[in-house]
Amino acid sequence: MTTFEIRSGVDLHDVQGNIIKGYGRYGFPVARYVTYRINAAVAGRTFIKLLVPMLTTSVPWSESGVVEEGTKQPPSTTNVALTYEGLRRLGVPERSLLSFPDEFVMGMRARASILGDVGASAPKNWDPVWQTEDGQQPVHLLVTINAESSDALAQRYEEVGLAARAANDVAGDSAGVQQLAGHRSAGGADAAFQDGAALRDEHGTPGPKEHFGYTDGISDPYYKDSGSRSSNVIGGGKRLRDSSPATDAGWAPLATGELLLGHTDEALEYPAAPVPSTLSKNGTYLVYRKLHQNVATFDRYAASEAAKLSMEENLFRAKLVGRWPNGAPLASFPTEAEANAFNAKLEQAKADRFDETATPTQRAAATERHLELKEQQSGFDYREDIAGESCPVGAHSRRANPRGSLEFGQDHAFSTPGALVNRRRIARRGLPYGDSSDRSVDNGDHGIIFMAIGASINRQFEFVQQQWMNFGNDFRLGNDQDALLASWPDEDIDPLRARMTFEVDPDGMEVPKICTGIPQFVETRGGDYFFVPSLTALSAIARGAVDPT
Amino acid sequence: MSNVAGKAQALNVWTPTRRKGIENRIIFWVLPRFFKKKLRGLQTLSLIHYARWVIIAPKDFPNLGEGQPTEELRHHYECFLSNFNGNWDQYIDSFSMSLGTGLDMLWFKNVGFPNSVPIEPFHAYINANSIPTDHYYSAYPLAASNDVKAAQRVRDSLVTLAGSASGMSPKQFRQAYDDTIRKHQDDISRLDESVIVSLATEAVQNQARQEAF
Repeated sequence: MTTFEIRSGVDLHDVQGNIIKGYGRYGFPVARYVTYRINAAVAGRTFIKLLVPMLTTSVPWSESGVVEEGTKQPPSTTNVALTYEGLRRLGVPERSLLSFPDEFVMGMRARASILGDVGASAPKNWDPVWQTEDGQQPVHLLVTINAESSDALAQRYEEVGLAARAANDVAGDSAGVQQLAGHRSAGGADAAFQDGAALRDEHGTPGPKEHFGYTDGISDPYYKDSGSRSSNVIGGGKRLRDSSPATDAGWAPLATGELLLGHTDEALEYPAAPVPSTLSKNGTYLVYRKLHQNVATFDRYAASEAAKLSMEENLFRAKLVGRWPNGAPLASFPTEAEANAFNAKLEQAKADRFDETATPTQRAAATERHLELKEQQSGFDYREDIAGESCPVGAHSRRANPRGSLEFGQDHAFSTPGALVNRRRIARRGLPYGDSSDRSVDNGDHGIIFMAIGASINRQFEFVQQQWMNFGNDFRLGNDQDALLASWPDEDIDPLRARMTFEVDPDGMEVPKICTGIPQFVETRGGDYFFVPSLTALSAIARGAVDPT
Repeated sequence: MSNVAGKAQALNVWTPTRRKGIENRIIFWVLPRFFKKKLRGLQTLSLIHYARWVIIAPKDFPNLGEGQPTEELRHHYECFLSNFNGNWDQYIDSFSMSLGTGLDMLWFKNVGFPNSVPIEPFHAYINANSIPTDHYYSAYPLAASNDVKAAQRVRDSLVTLAGSASGMSPKQFRQAYDDTIRKHQDDISRLDESVIVSLATEAVQNQARQEAF
């Protein structure tokens, strides 16, 4: 029997693996999201009972270097999440149901006006699987599978399907749990599941790019006791005052309760959570959002608007997002030459790290180098760039994570520079889907399955989406919206409304560039709010043993 | 009955003080003079239009006569008035996390005040002691306080530019114009209706629109 040490205040055995592990794009380049409807409580509970032993927990794998001996990284991972309607149909008692927060009870569709899901993003345009006839949430249970290969994925998918059939046999109801088709894909609108896959480079190697060509998923929040590498605190934790953002002294881990229910959060309290505590502890919420990307429109606009503003197109693309397409942050690497030089070093270190012909010592040294360089990708803030002359104030990644810049240069305005940010962080999971090699059309099958995880959908995801993506007041940018994600209620976008400013040095001689007539690049295609219970809670749900008394 | 008008939310909170609010009055006097730093957050927090804390003695509560019964008030009350952008439930975290110690001083020893962190008791305290707004009006429903301040800055510059433009050569004007744009690069953002911050507010507004026809 192997033994291993968990250096953590969280029982990682109890926490589902998708919450803490990113299931990185290198180890798990393919994923499948399977949606179910629960028609019979017995079948649903039996399905969960059969799924529990298949689930992946958050215990670190031996390969990750955090523990010497531990569980080995499996060829595929499996996790399960439930909507409010799912919990209700599984027979979770009314008192527990009523203790869930409003937004979760309502579901994502009902929150469309809060989220700005209007026009092309409106729920009526979502994939068929998310459509509802009776006003209830159509999807009750979500199984997410990540895998190292298509074969491993197919095998695990088969096993999950067998579990569903076995559950229906037990219940004596062939539609007790019913897999819901209706995911739009290259083959039509009725796929039995949603696939996701890391985009591959010219050598076929899975990489970190998304369909607009940016390196994605660089900076993920870092939480106390999450068992991940401690240097990830740089850029991932909460910003501290008086230390450089390039060092780990400049950051501290976010409280575990920002990610997981049943643990203290940044407000020094337990996050509001459903009863009984055994139902909520070590669980969290997951926002599943399918976002279609209009790649042709994006390419066309980038080329024409860059020309109009007399800019290099790559710089234009970088200004929209706050990072160069290769991932280097504008705040640290304001010119393309600097960004490219940095990226070349990063790529070289990565290649050396995985170079099988090198000696272990060489590889260890390369690993160190690679990790140090990766720290530079996230170890920065906007304190030296308050006006936005390097990274525009309204750039996508700066909006999503202002990194303590909301003091607007007023040092010590707040007790901590991250006062307005620390409770708005979301762990991002998910992968691109589809193929965008034909860049001439918008209506192919390409986009991203965006998944956000956190202890409060309303305080974290909805706030960021509404106040920071769809509005500008917190950045003193009026109603300006995020250029990448803005949705518009009608087809004819007033060119002056869809705008973004690329600021310049206020004391310099340059003139700010203002892009206008930004078309809609991203369209919501469906999704919902899910609860990701702990393994303890799932077992209790499966046994019908949830009792809030 | 709504605490929301345009982009603004009203908050009126009445809380009983101890010892006639003497300590609070001292704090109100001392804080802006000697502990300015504690209030910097209030000025930086871009969502706040204004915030005011006042102590009101029992005898100063208005009585309209006309048979209004006289209250037997045992406390001096601290009255907190604020207008801010966004929604209270949504921004409670921002208030509490960014202004924490300042808020604790302003509500010092008010009866039942739980301190601003943890947030849930603070949130409950404010909600329990707040008085809903009967009538609330915004003259510029599209503008947040940031927008009003920005518009004032732009106006001042435009007036100056217009005043000096007549004597300029085209080249000089171009220069002056560019300087103005640079100076106000983030003062000229889009002004539009608020995002929907609450489904209840959205429903109230839709209802009001329907009734207007």
